[in-house]
Amino acid sequence: MRRIIVGFFTIMVITAFGLISNTGKAANFEIGATLENFSLPDTVDQVRSLNNLKGKNGTAIIFLSAQCPVVKGYNERISQIAADYAAKGINFVGINSNATESLEWVRSHAAEHYKFPVLIDKGNVIADKLGASVTPEVFYIDAKNKLVYHGAIDNSRSGDNITSKYLQAAFDNSLAGKTIQQSRINAFGCSIKRAGE
Amino acid sequence: MNIVYSKLVKAIFYSWLFTMILSAGAIAQNNGASSKPEKAEPVSLPKVTQLDETGLKKLLEPNGKPLLINFWATWCDPCREEFPDLIKLDAEFKGKINFVTISLDDLIEINRDVPKFLAGMKAEMPAYLLKTADEGAAIALVTNDWTGGLPFSILFDASGKVAYFRQGKVKTDVLNAEIVKTLSVMEAAK
Repeated sequence: MRRIIVGFFTIMVITAFGLISNTGKAANFEIGATLENFSLPDTVDQVRSLNNLKGKNGTAIIFLSAQCPVVKGYNERISQIAADYAAKGINFVGINSNATESLEWVRSHAAEHYKFPVLIDKGNVIADKLGASVTPEVFYIDAKNKLVYHGAIDNSRSGDNITSKYLQAAFDNSLAGKTIQQSRINAFGCSIKRAGE
Repeated sequence: MNIVYSKLVKAIFYSWLFTMILSAGAIAQNNGASSKPEKAEPVSLPKVTQLDETGLKKLLEPNGKPLLINFWATWCDPCREEFPDLIKLDAEFKGKINFVTISLDDLIEINRDVPKFLAGMKAEMPAYLLKTADEGAAIALVTNDWTGGLPFSILFDASGKVAYFRQGKVKTDVLNAEIVKTLSVMEAAK
């Protein structure tokens, strides 16, 4: 009996320790949370703030990478969606939090593909604050900076056979004053290479 | 007369010998040509099994041993970089845990880049390629703590509970320790 109790206790302690020691990044900025203003330098070293970049109907903060093949596959769609919804009062703000990508690389990638600003998140401060861990990953905040959608752009990395346009559906519902049915969608992408990893 | 006859015999003999030498050379040359490798034998590539959401669900069912899954893709640099470490882990824990790899490459790569890479790595773990219309659902099947970034490694204990996971390149010593810990818990429970 004593052996069973000791064994059970050991299992409990080790299991608890194992779960605590997990190193995955848990999302810490949930749907409904409000994002405070922040400032980061852009690709030409001009400090830009969320308050100055946000759209009157909301802001799509999108975590990007200059080298991630998944982002490359989405570049054209990102650019098109950003243009379509800028006209509807939703602005895009790109953020690059990858410690492995040089400023020059990020600058030329951004200049080639996007018309919206891409900010440099040195030390992944904003990525940590939002719990961003993959590229591309979108945090769509409404006009009051409340998070209303988090996750994927659509359900096709290649762009073939897109059957669910999650981000556009979120924009459209939000603009129409409706509830966003799918507010949290994960998809496969590249892990953000954080500083010190 | 005898001298003439002798010279004639010698001439015939040397002619015959010369002809034989030439023929032997030609035969050797021909043989040499035919012994050249015609075509390199095709290298046998490892089998990569296509997996859908149902297949993934079945794969995740506990079967008496801890299960380690590495999600990766050939387009993912850190995935490729960490693979040699995973091969070492597989060798170390072979038979003690189930270790499978699941590629998130496009389906077209199931017979191309994925097995080619695995062959280059001399990977012996069962290999799968996940193709699903709903990636979010597949990710949630694995764990809600995963946001979809690659590489992703997850260790389930023998009862199917998550013992450890990591999004990003594995730290071999940490993963090794987690496997040892999971195995020791399993032993203690017997």
